[in-house]
Amino acid sequence: MKTIAWLAGIGTMATGAIYMVVSLNRWEWNRALFFGLIALIAEVGLATGLILRRLDRIEHTRLDPEILALLRDTRPTPARRFRWLEDTTTQMNVFITFLVGGGLILSGLAWVADKVAANTSTPVGEEQLARQLGVISYPRGGLLVDEITALAQDVPGTDDAQIRKLLSDPRPPE
Amino acid sequence: MNRVGRLVLGAVGLVLGGLAVVALREATLSTHQPVAADSQVEVVVEVESEHRERGQSEDELIEALVLTCRLEVNSDLVGEIELLPPGADADDDALYRAVLQPAMDQTNRRQFRGCLEDWTIDQLLVDVVRFEDIA
Repeated sequence: MKTIAWLAGIGTMATGAIYMVVSLNRWEWNRALFFGLIALIAEVGLATGLILRRLDRIEHTRLDPEILALLRDTRPTPARRFRWLEDTTTQMNVFITFLVGGGLILSGLAWVADKVAANTSTPVGEEQLARQLGVISYPRGGLLVDEITALAQDVPGTDDAQIRKLLSDPRPPE
Repeated sequence: MNRVGRLVLGAVGLVLGGLAVVALREATLSTHQPVAADSQVEVVVEVESEHRERGQSEDELIEALVLTCRLEVNSDLVGEIELLPPGADADDDALYRAVLQPAMDQTNRRQFRGCLEDWTIDQLLVDVVRFEDIA
């Protein structure tokens, strides 16, 4: 079956190429383009088939067991970077050290963060609160009028309805 | 195959490929000769058309083909394209005759024939039966 497929591909490509040349020789450009396209398609198909066949051969190449054994025997010993873990599975010396040390470091960092936050947030918060309270605070000097203002109401031409209301003066405005 | 053999084989293939390209170039190269202005050429073609559009007659298709192909040469169509009477065999394809002026040199002749017999117009197959100078 494979042989028939290969022969069909080769025959298609050769026939397409021959007819393309013949059409070119006859000045039949549309036919030449068509047969050239057929030859190109067959060529791409054949090339793909050749590549796939080559890949298949590479994948199914039998390994030499002697070479494989030789490579396995000369394999370098893997580095034991955590050998101390194997030695201390029944003892807690290293773990305790890490645990306590890590706890100390974390506690120190937390203390520093707390101090920095306290020293930066409190003044800023006070300033913000002062600004918010300033809007609703009473006017400086209180709501009552001072004596000078009260006496000035008796001066002719001076008339302030609000001040007279504060002084409970029943006189009508001038 | 040793290295020298491969080199020789490659060189032979290269030479053959080059010769083929040169031959094809010679075959498709335009070389024009002077032609008398009052000379005429007669072209008789056998026409076969299938599955053409409804409303398109074979006469229109062959007229369009000749008018298209004459643009590739220096000749113009003289008169109408005639439908020749059918041959003895009733199954023969229709024959059409066209006259062009001036006549064509060898290159234009090949070019015009190639255009007529090419797949220039869909559903239309043409074979050049006669291509002769008549004046």
